[in-house]
Amino acid sequence: MFSAKPIKPTFKCYLPPAQTDRKNSIQPPIRLEPEFLPGEIVVNDVNFVRKCISAESGQGDLWGRLICTNFKVSFIPQGPPPKQKSQLSHLLLGQHDISLTCLEQVVTVNDTRGKRKVLGSNQKLKFNPTELILYCKDLRVIRFCFDEAGPESAKKVCLAIAHYSHPADLHLLFGFEYQGLRYHKGDLVNGSTPRGGIQTPVFDRPSDWDREIKRTGASGWRVCSINEKYAISDSLPEYIVVPVSLTDQDVKQHSPSFSDGRVPLWCWNHRNGSALVRMAGPADPLTQRKTEQKIFTAITKSHPQRREVTLSDLDKSLPNIQDIQSAFVKARQICTLDPFEESEERWLSSIENSRWLEYVRTFLKLSAEIVYNLDGKNVSVILLEEEDRDLNCVVSSLVQLMLDPHYRSLNGFQSLVQKEWVMAGHRFLDRCNHLKKNDSKESPLFTLFLDCVWQMTNQYPAAFEFTEFYLTVLSDSMWIPLFSTFLFNSSKQCAQLLQDFSKNKAIPQGEDHTVIFPPVWKWSQQFSTRDQTLFNNPMYVGKGAASVQNGEVKSFQRSKKAFSSTVRISSTSQRNGLKGEEEPLQRRGSLVSELKADFSPVKDESPSERFFRDWFSHPADQQGVLIPLVLPSHVVLWKLFFLRWVPEVCIPQGGPATVYHKVSQLVDEIEMLQGKLRQYKGASPRGTPVPSPSGPSSDQRRMYFKASSPHDPPTTPNILNSSFPFNPVGNLCPRGVQGTPISKFLNGAKTWLSTETLANDSF
Amino acid sequence: MCKTVTRLETDQEIIYMCPFSGAVKGKVLITNYRLYFKSSDAEGPVVLDVPLGVISRVEKMGGASSRGENSYGLDITCKDMRNLRFALKQEGHSRRGIFDMLFRYAFPLSHGLALFAYLNQEKFTENGWNVYKAMEEFRRQGLPNNKWRMTFINKRYELCDTYPNLLAVPFKCTEDDLRKVAAFRSRGRIPVLSWIHRENQAVIVRCSQPLVGMSGKRNKDDERYLDLIREANDTTKKLTIYDARPNVNAVANKATGGGYEGDEYVNAELVFLDIQNIHVMRESLKKLKDIVYPNVEESHWLSSLESTHWLEHIKLVLSGAIQVADKVSSGNSVLVHCSDGWDRTAQLTSLAMLMLDSHYRTLRGFQVLIEKEWISFGHKFASRIGHGDKNHADQDRSPIFVQFIDCVWQMTKQFPTAFEFNEHLLLSILDHLYSCRFGTFLYNCENARDQHDLRTKTTSLWSLVNSKMDLYLNPFYTPESGQVLYPVASMRHLELWVNYYIRWNPRIRHQQQSPVEQRYKELLALREEYLKKLEQLQLSDSSSSYQLTNSTTPNTTSSTASTPSQQYTHLQTPL
Repeated sequence: MFSAKPIKPTFKCYLPPAQTDRKNSIQPPIRLEPEFLPGEIVVNDVNFVRKCISAESGQGDLWGRLICTNFKVSFIPQGPPPKQKSQLSHLLLGQHDISLTCLEQVVTVNDTRGKRKVLGSNQKLKFNPTELILYCKDLRVIRFCFDEAGPESAKKVCLAIAHYSHPADLHLLFGFEYQGLRYHKGDLVNGSTPRGGIQTPVFDRPSDWDREIKRTGASGWRVCSINEKYAISDSLPEYIVVPVSLTDQDVKQHSPSFSDGRVPLWCWNHRNGSALVRMAGPADPLTQRKTEQKIFTAITKSHPQRREVTLSDLDKSLPNIQDIQSAFVKARQICTLDPFEESEERWLSSIENSRWLEYVRTFLKLSAEIVYNLDGKNVSVILLEEEDRDLNCVVSSLVQLMLDPHYRSLNGFQSLVQKEWVMAGHRFLDRCNHLKKNDSKESPLFTLFLDCVWQMTNQYPAAFEFTEFYLTVLSDSMWIPLFSTFLFNSSKQCAQLLQDFSKNKAIPQGEDHTVIFPPVWKWSQQFSTRDQTLFNNPMYVGKGAASVQNGEVKSFQRSKKAFSSTVRISSTSQRNGLKGEEEPLQRRGSLVSELKADFSPVKDESPSERFFRDWFSHPADQQGVLIPLVLPSHVVLWKLFFLRWVPEVCIPQGGPATVYHKVSQLVDEIEMLQGKLRQYKGASPRGTPVPSPSGPSSDQRRMYFKASSPHDPPTTPNILNSSFPFNPVGNLCPRGVQGTPISKFLNGAKTWLSTETLANDSF
Repeated sequence: MCKTVTRLETDQEIIYMCPFSGAVKGKVLITNYRLYFKSSDAEGPVVLDVPLGVISRVEKMGGASSRGENSYGLDITCKDMRNLRFALKQEGHSRRGIFDMLFRYAFPLSHGLALFAYLNQEKFTENGWNVYKAMEEFRRQGLPNNKWRMTFINKRYELCDTYPNLLAVPFKCTEDDLRKVAAFRSRGRIPVLSWIHRENQAVIVRCSQPLVGMSGKRNKDDERYLDLIREANDTTKKLTIYDARPNVNAVANKATGGGYEGDEYVNAELVFLDIQNIHVMRESLKKLKDIVYPNVEESHWLSSLESTHWLEHIKLVLSGAIQVADKVSSGNSVLVHCSDGWDRTAQLTSLAMLMLDSHYRTLRGFQVLIEKEWISFGHKFASRIGHGDKNHADQDRSPIFVQFIDCVWQMTKQFPTAFEFNEHLLLSILDHLYSCRFGTFLYNCENARDQHDLRTKTTSLWSLVNSKMDLYLNPFYTPESGQVLYPVASMRHLELWVNYYIRWNPRIRHQQQSPVEQRYKELLALREEYLKKLEQLQLSDSSSSYQLTNSTTPNTTSSTASTPSQQYTHLQTPL
């Protein structure tokens, strides 16, 4: 397909190539070859393509070759690489590459004839496209122009891209090809197993759950293997945690009462004994009441004080998955497609109208209420959701993040996602709509969760081991079809597909007769060790991390009670003479109610409001309970996620990254000093607590930015801007405001070019 | 604090009507400086400590005939985004004493009394009045030079009573020219130099509007004077005149004798910056207060915020300043004015100077900027704030300076390492804008300050700040000279300054220091600790110190190309 014979650059090279037999007549002056992964093949390609960089002037546009493979859309620019580069270099995708799974919509345009069409799979195109606009799931909008390219080849590439981004079946996703070949090459079976090197427990074995039970001190709970081989439920993991008072037989017997046999699932235990449990709605309303009663009794028995359980019905208090999807679509539209200047005036109300931030707030607020129940009231909480596979994932993981500092470490966070999302059967395949088959099932719940986590990191910048870069990169990883984490609807589906797959591909099987698809947590698949250091939050006050207060170095050592505010709260309540938390607070006697009539703003405080006010009146312990502020003034747009590609928004040499840079340098210097101290002969700094267990050797330094040498002036590097480590240049190029009828149409479109609005418009 | 404090009223039982936690019983103490309330509830006491200067209005609530004992009390409106309500027992005119005291000492000027700053006896190690000396600042900018000279024509405030006494004007103009120009500029506020670009010699000149009037009067002297300003810079082909007002307002000003520069100014171009007047800004902030105090508007927060237009005004001010800074840094002299040249003009020139000149981004430089562009050039602090004046509905009051500090805060948010001072400084400045504890923000102009011996009889706010600089320093500051700082004046980045506007809400944790700053300071201390330890180890083990530096190189120096000895010195050098 690609003749290797280079030809001399001539004047002709810069003319549109002849329409016939491009292969033999004109070749690009430089061979523009992308880098291919094992199993990746070129489907179609076209030369002399212009990638639009600036919407108006066309200045800085890049010329090059556009390639569609079975994995990605690749653009190889001619000439020297641009000066402005993304700081983060991806090992699987180049700067101009888009994974096919990342494509939200493929739109072809013919400017002169005033036509456009949204392309799906196996479609025909009756006009020669002059433009291709790729709307990406990571919010990029990339525009290619074919004004100098062969019209037929351009059309073919567009159709190929559209076709290959709509795989007919899950096993056609590139990941299967890729992982299969890796097995054949033997780089997975020999030596390093896909699990090797990952410290994150994936909860596919009893020991992972056991460890979690021990860690949280959940003495009233046990691991149950009744669902091995998915015997009672298709969507539950093989190993689940249930109250000790329920026998395997009980569990099996109760299972049919619940949707998809999902018996209530233990998530987490508070040190005070209260448990967080998630539960699906009833499958059989007749037996439901009885079964529920039995289960509730069992959960009560598992509580050291035999407290009654509290049921929280999430379907009643939270938006549904369609609401969330439409909020996200609107927010995305406002942030990346609406013309920049025109949308300034109504920016705030547009964001409000999208309702995205309102939903973020609602989830955080409800999660905080559950924290109050578990921590302040010391009762077990059951999260109830019809299927227990969407809203429950968000809330249960947020609650745990607020209550347990373990989940705020990098590994802890990953294990939380593994436990409450992947293993609990969140339908990643459907919610991500990887196969683009059913738009009504698409919903960005995981993105919503990441946004909620970001709000927490924004309010408590020293409490999380990871950075917002990590959260953003994690969300981007959903759109690379190589990691088991985001590809399946359940662990059963994953296991089954892999089994079929290994049979079909005749993969030499290991002892356990299964192929393992590596999870996203094996970050070395995507990033170099150095780039992975961008994940480390230099401000993190971790377990055993050193801190200095009043000039004295102290170490944070989590005592059993340190991560609970219960002690303080309960003593406060006692002093107030409170009997039960249910009773309304009568703090100031009858005066309160009398005054209310005359002074309107005064209102009674609910016990939970009192709990929160009390909590906020004390300094926050980074290793303790963390409750987010959910006032609308304090839940703000996650700019790095939503606006990183918008060039107009980029603050050169500014933004939060400048602080990150500064703190990283300092922490790097501190860690080098620690290394020195440790190496000092005969002087082991045993008394000195250190942030990292082992001294950093040169290639193991945890910080992305290294301490500056005294000879360098302390300057902010030019690479820093508010989009760091991403680069807005060339990644967002919606049509210009004025101009063609098409751009007017795009301008008027109220949503993210939804298929409904455009489908009728194919010519 | 060592102050001459008069204790006026003590130990009266009172109920504070807290909008958050309800009625709180306690005792109130009123001095000539503050109102102090402490609840009698021993556990989690509620404390209010309010300088009387922040009080804008005191009103009686209910009367002797009102039903219910708690309908009778006082309602206090504050200038700093909060209100206070107290209820008292109805019998025996219990509130009269408190009301009279508050009324008298919150508004001393309305009662023939001195402002508290004149009674304050506080002593500081630094004298803040020395922070700004006009001549020194001009010298720092490289003035006078062969194009610009100093003039003492306003020594006795005769040319312009609201200007400072030292002015920088084009070298070629005569004192007589200046007098003629003064006759054509509103209140004699002639165009004078505020700032000069060291490299390209482009200048920022400020003034008031020309007195064009309905008849469209021309003044040859003014026209020639503006051309002299233009000529003083070689690369300025056209002098850009930034009129801060919206076009229509500028036209409307003709009716009252003002106006704007017309086509007769041949070598100039006029740009309107669309910034609204003091009345619009006052109403905007009032609306903002409505949605943040006492409770944050929950259901439609962002659209409510949008309808206050506060951030939109911030955006216009900032983008105006960006245009000024951009013009100047590309080698074009500019002239900035509004109507009188003491509100919007001060905002624009000072913000542009903050973007252009890194000196103003230091702690002391920022003080100089405020002293120079705001205080010395006659921003009417007394009228805008209404220090000690009971007339709360005075139409002259407006939060123009608050808006400026907000703009500065927006810049610090976008460039967290570019400013030597921190948010706490900005908050302190705004607190003492109202408190009347310091003389810094008192009176409308230098002339009035001289008449009232302000500098000798009161203390400067900068005395407080510079005596405890640590509190106000931004640990992330990275000095960067010569870099123009352009913030992005987009609604996508402008945020409500919650730590100022929503700080009275007890449901928000209030920290003196941002958690990020605090953590960084902890880390700095940790580094010092380790450095000390390392030094001790090296001293006690001097024979092996050579060995140490050698043995550690393989592990620590791969990323820096320094030799072991360089590495060693590095570790002893604090950043």
